[in-house]
Amino acid sequence: MERNVTPLEARAALDTVERGRLRIIEEIDLPAWYWWGLALGWIALGFITDLQHAWLTAGATLLFGAVHASVAPRVIDGRRRSRHLRVSADVAGHHIARLVLGGIIALAVVTIAVSLAVNADGAGHPVTIASCFVAVIIVLGGPQLLATVRRRARAASA
Amino acid sequence: MTAARFDELIHPSTRLSIVALLAAADWVDFAFVRDQLGLSDSALSKQLSTLEQAGYVHIERPVSDHRRRVQARLTPEGRAAFNGHVAALRAIVGSAEPELLGGA
Repeated sequence: MERNVTPLEARAALDTVERGRLRIIEEIDLPAWYWWGLALGWIALGFITDLQHAWLTAGATLLFGAVHASVAPRVIDGRRRSRHLRVSADVAGHHIARLVLGGIIALAVVTIAVSLAVNADGAGHPVTIASCFVAVIIVLGGPQLLATVRRRARAASA
Repeated sequence: MTAARFDELIHPSTRLSIVALLAAADWVDFAFVRDQLGLSDSALSKQLSTLEQAGYVHIERPVSDHRRRVQARLTPEGRAAFNGHVAALRAIVGSAEPELLGGA
């Protein structure tokens, strides 16, 4: 079996293995363009909703959903930020897509709630204002969400 | 549970670093491994060739953006060997821990 490998050498080898895993964990993320695209789409959808044309709003919502459905599967698992590698599912976990989609649903609820509050306050363009608010959350909060995922992956790895 | 099996081919430090990176990913670009580990092209090529000849690594050369890239991935045999090697290392450390603790 092993040729005179001391426990200290084995420990050093395990540290090497751990460093490799941590390097790959740092690659778990979604590309920045995903968050910016989502935020801009959100604002556009809010602006269109404020125009109060039901068919236009329904069409824009369907288009938004279709574009997201075509783009998201390629990136939303958090394993393909870099073009230089694809993180294994074991390392990234299987929950990132659910986390992001759950966040989007929660933000839709937040958008409605803020729109109602802004509308009750008498301001014009309530959905646009609410969408801008949520867009900021997306751009700032999205990367933070993935940073938390990486932190947990590092902790699980330790 | 993975059976512990010390692997002489994987154990050398540079090769272990390469396999550890590959084990955490589905595939990795040659350039990424080279840059992360600070190896020269020739040194990395040599190590990957050794691992490929052992059947532990599969090398692909896809063309993207009109550029030929080199990607490496662990084969199922390579992954099993790596997992067995890590289990063997843990067994060595685990068997010595009472002594280490006692000696501390």
